[in-house]
Amino acid sequence: MSRSAHPRAMAASKPGSTRTAPPQLPDRFPFGGRYLAYTLFDLTGILYLLLGLSVLCAVWSLGSGEAVWNGALERHRSIFYLGFHGIALAALIFVGIRFFAFFPKAQPPRVGRVKPPPKPVILAALYGLWIGVTACMTIVLAGGIF
Amino acid sequence: MKHLLLKLEPLIWLLFGQGILLGTVLLTPWVLVVGLAIPLGIVPADALSYERATALGSHIIGRVILLGLIALPLWKGAHHMRHTLIDFGGAERDAWVAPLLYLLAALGSLLAVVAVVRI
Repeated sequence: MSRSAHPRAMAASKPGSTRTAPPQLPDRFPFGGRYLAYTLFDLTGILYLLLGLSVLCAVWSLGSGEAVWNGALERHRSIFYLGFHGIALAALIFVGIRFFAFFPKAQPPRVGRVKPPPKPVILAALYGLWIGVTACMTIVLAGGIF
Repeated sequence: MKHLLLKLEPLIWLLFGQGILLGTVLLTPWVLVVGLAIPLGIVPADALSYERATALGSHIIGRVILLGLIALPLWKGAHHMRHTLIDFGGAERDAWVAPLLYLLAALGSLLAVVAVVRI
């Protein structure tokens, strides 16, 4: 009977003897040059966390009765919520475009004997999924169907 | 705790990845309609009246979508915030920042299950 190894079981027991310079932040970090997009992508984490909590509050209010649900919808009319959702929509589009650009590059050369599809096919599938789900859910939420 | 986080890393990365992919795909229409179109009067508020919202949310597909809408962005947010804080403040605080953020995401996910069940 064997048990799983410690994740760092193969790591060196102590640092190597080679002297290395202490890590330094690049000059242009965090908002200069190419770091701007990197930092903004990282910072969208705050918005996603807030969006998740905001949807949780909305769904919780739906389960709490009609008056609470109507109150939640009313709160969404405030300038604070409108501003937040405007910024969130911009962040979602930014994350989608950036992540979809990464996605084909992150594929392994082969999965078993199968090669991943070419980049244009992957991109078409990702954007097709995004646009398709957005269109369907928008129609459903807006009362177009069901 | 560090050992546990290292063991959970594949699961955390899976949830983070799905938070970016599915979270973005699902949140876009939610923000468009619930966050902007209804409050601005572009879509009539009746579209998400209590009766209709309950009918949509209590369907099995509706429950799964709502669960994804809440839980996945929380994991994406927690993991990205962890790395933002490492980038800006170094890894020294990571020993308590990472568990705190993942605990928040886990707690939110648990509350999401309760929230979709009680619709």
